[in-house]
Amino acid sequence: MTDLTLNRLRAANPFPAATAVDEDALFDRIVLAPADRRLARKPRSYRRPVLVLAAALVVGGVLASGAVSGWFSHIIAGPTVKAEYAAAQNLLTMPPGYSWPPLNWPRNSVTSSGAGGAFAVSLDQDAWECYWVDAIHSGDLDAEQRAQAALDDLMANHIVIAPAGAPEDYAPPQSAGTPTLAFADDGGYQYKQRMYAQAAAGKPQLLEQSCRANGPGSRR
Amino acid sequence: MTSDTDRRPAEERLREVFAHLGAVTAYARRRGSRDADGIAAEAMSIAWRRLADVPCDDPLPWLYATARNLLLAERRAASRTAAAGSEPSVPAPELHELDPQLDRALRSLCPADREALLLVAWEDLAPTQAARALGLKPTAFRVRLLRARRRLRAALDEERRPASLVQIDVEGT
Repeated sequence: MTDLTLNRLRAANPFPAATAVDEDALFDRIVLAPADRRLARKPRSYRRPVLVLAAALVVGGVLASGAVSGWFSHIIAGPTVKAEYAAAQNLLTMPPGYSWPPLNWPRNSVTSSGAGGAFAVSLDQDAWECYWVDAIHSGDLDAEQRAQAALDDLMANHIVIAPAGAPEDYAPPQSAGTPTLAFADDGGYQYKQRMYAQAAAGKPQLLEQSCRANGPGSRR
Repeated sequence: MTSDTDRRPAEERLREVFAHLGAVTAYARRRGSRDADGIAAEAMSIAWRRLADVPCDDPLPWLYATARNLLLAERRAASRTAAAGSEPSVPAPELHELDPQLDRALRSLCPADREALLLVAWEDLAPTQAARALGLKPTAFRVRLLRARRRLRAALDEERRPASLVQIDVEGT
């Protein structure tokens, strides 16, 4: 890369690699958020074929006994997920100017009961966060209060923290009637609370970040 | 990821990624961001949330790719705001500090060519790293870089032509 043109371009580099922010404070703020869950997974260990065979026999025996017919009642497929999503829209309110996006859920894909409602709660929360950011930027105090009240209501009545050690497909017990989103017990719920408290106190940086990362625009 | 012992390795890994904060900030500033610090901070937050996707050996191309996506989102939001008339359209400060000839020559390139050149010349990436940042195969990137260099050279040569000649051409049409 000894090209004179490139050398000229290199020499014209307008900014040095430097930042004016308090790096330690920024780092501490970032690691307050839940980390990538995939890092917590233990590496897969190789099991002896005999153990696998024994487990398969036990499972086969239990299934054959018919004793587990009720165990899978919490598994739902595409149409039920969509029905839950539609029902949740009657119980949740989108902010002015926002609408419910269509839910594309493959018919042959299954999930836990309540997932449609949880998905709606998540979308609603993202939309209200972005509505709040817009309200702050435009100085609309009424809209800011509406957004804060809506998010408080979601946090209090539609979002719960899963018990410590709960499985990934944990479904909250009240999800049958009320659309409910379960946060893992990893500090994510408390992070949202801090985010809203800071935004209400005039520091919307975390809220803006969340809107940029999760808001309706980020899903396009 | 619930206890301190679980989080510590992840935090150590983020520390390594975080060492590039200054480089990402400078990248965003050179590309004309109005909030370069914010873009860099958001890129780091995304790195934390998707740490398993960030290459351990060389996170910089991944960070530049993430920052570029955030810059594009920032530009889209700015054009929407400008179109809505709520704020006057402010031209991106990109390349303002350059000498006028180089500025015009760079602006005459297509964005893909310009980005290929700047990743190598300003971000000091090796072609293989720059290829990763752009999601290209190294061979495809080298071809793009070669063409971009030729086009920039041609544009600079054009700039060097005496103004009177250009005017005669224009007047003669």
